[in-house]
Amino acid sequence: MSNGTGGKFAGFEREPAVRVFASELRESRIQFKEGEDEKSPSYVLLPTGERCNRIFLCGQMTLKEKRGEQNKFYTVRVQDPTGTFFINAGSYQPDAMQQIARIEPPVYVAVLGKPGIRTTADSSVFVSVRAESVTEIDLETYRCWVLDCAQQTLDRLDSFDQTDDSRKAKEFYNTNTAIYRQIIHDALTQIDIQ
Amino acid sequence: METIPHVVERISQKIEAKGVTVDREKVRSKLTLLVEEFGIQIQEAERTVTNELMREHNLSTPAGSGQEQRPIGDITPGDWVTVEGKIVSVAQPPAGAIAQSGIIADSSGAVQFVVWAKARAPTLKERTWYRLEAAVVDEYRGAPNLKVHSGTKVTELPEDRPLMPNVAPIASLKPGVGSIRAKFVEEWEPRHDRMLQTGLLGDESGRIKFVLWKDGEREKLELNRVYSFYYATVDEFNGRLSLNLSTAMYIPEEGDIRVSTGSDAIQGAFVHMAPGSGLVKRCPVEGCNRVLSRQNYCPVHEIQSSFRYDLRIKGVIDDGKKARNVLMQCETVEQLAAMSLEQAIEIAENNPLGLDDVLIQLQHRVMGRYFRCIGSDIDGTFLVRECRPVQCDAPLHASLINRAAASPGGDAA
Repeated sequence: MSNGTGGKFAGFEREPAVRVFASELRESRIQFKEGEDEKSPSYVLLPTGERCNRIFLCGQMTLKEKRGEQNKFYTVRVQDPTGTFFINAGSYQPDAMQQIARIEPPVYVAVLGKPGIRTTADSSVFVSVRAESVTEIDLETYRCWVLDCAQQTLDRLDSFDQTDDSRKAKEFYNTNTAIYRQIIHDALTQIDIQ
Repeated sequence: METIPHVVERISQKIEAKGVTVDREKVRSKLTLLVEEFGIQIQEAERTVTNELMREHNLSTPAGSGQEQRPIGDITPGDWVTVEGKIVSVAQPPAGAIAQSGIIADSSGAVQFVVWAKARAPTLKERTWYRLEAAVVDEYRGAPNLKVHSGTKVTELPEDRPLMPNVAPIASLKPGVGSIRAKFVEEWEPRHDRMLQTGLLGDESGRIKFVLWKDGEREKLELNRVYSFYYATVDEFNGRLSLNLSTAMYIPEEGDIRVSTGSDAIQGAFVHMAPGSGLVKRCPVEGCNRVLSRQNYCPVHEIQSSFRYDLRIKGVIDDGKKARNVLMQCETVEQLAAMSLEQAIEIAENNPLGLDDVLIQLQHRVMGRYFRCIGSDIDGTFLVRECRPVQCDAPLHASLINRAAASPGGDAA
């Protein structure tokens, strides 16, 4: 992606929010840091070949749970046409926590957040999103997002094996682009637009 | 602060202008080494790297004895020159080492000059012609600058020659000195005590920010009026040009000109509402208009008992490739969030959550939604003039389905 090197120097440049479907995010396994600094941004490498420090997703909030004794945090599940996103927000994300507190499932929500990969005790891998904001939206916005996400995923597939990130992704994930085209196709045919 | 990629680009372009190809990666690593490893100031590092590259490609130009007379429009940094020109502007010297600074022009062009205090040169008089022998051209902030030093011979010329500034389109301005014919299209609130006036000037080719400083008895410009500006200083910062009118002469003109709208369109999701959004209170002092703190404190005029309400949104619109800061003013916010300024005031004044409640309601109406905005980018913030929600597009939906199905059973890559 073009902002890879630019972002390194222009420290003030905000990381764009990559659009990704749940079924693709779930398959991500590589998380890396650019630079040695403690505050250097951390990226997740998506199977379709783009790094993301921040993602933007929409879907139906199906479950909301408050957990923790002293340090309360919310876990939320958001369903898109391809699968489920696991979202969390703790006391370091006070804005997102308050926003989640006002929302009752099932409703459509838009989530902005930072993806993270962790390995659980039984060595299974879990991909979740630390929310920066969670807000209720309408069905129309959800449909717009599905189109947007489909378009941007297709753009990534079209330039697959042509960018540094996607060559890396090809090496690590051995991505089958035909499967992703199928997923996008299925997602698009699930929504109705008059 | 200027950023490294931007300086790399400027150095590369300068060398490439001499017909040599430049390896940007090499320029970048040299510059990064100087700036990040050795902590050298970026301007100094820029000069060092430029000179090094010039030498490497045998472009070093400080040639000649400077005896040969040159048109001002032709001189470039590194030259030793003799010029004959008219002093069209002199400014307050910014430092003790400088006796005088200003602009000298002939019919081919104009350049900023500096007379070093050590040069012991006679004081140059405005509107007088001089011959400057063996002056040095170097570069200051990306623009050529003529230095009068102790070896420079300064001779006043007795006659006044005809001189007509070369008026150029805004789009063709480069750092240095420029003359334009333009309309004063937008006035902004000055952000500094010393600023008399600031805003946008426009002509058919584009728009440019200008600043008029208070020093000297300068007349304010009249909005929507066309002027000729002669010998304004063109400054560059982070790749954007602005016009300093303090050195310029400006003359009102009759009639009107067509101005490029300078419009851009952006589309994306509204992903972040920044602090300072919502209902704000502005300082009532004439010409101030700054946003007051919640305790009604103005950074300049301190505590204010009265104020003027305003509604605005500062935020980020993100298209997945780039996150752009946007600023929406009252009218746009009212239309977008279906909340009028009066309603917002009503909410704020009759609700225990006050201003926060307005913010929460605005967030509820815009966060996560898709918008298409028309406006212009000013110093990294997109000023929104018009904004509309994006509707789901059935033809786009159909074409995406086709795209996804394009390579059935096969791997396109």
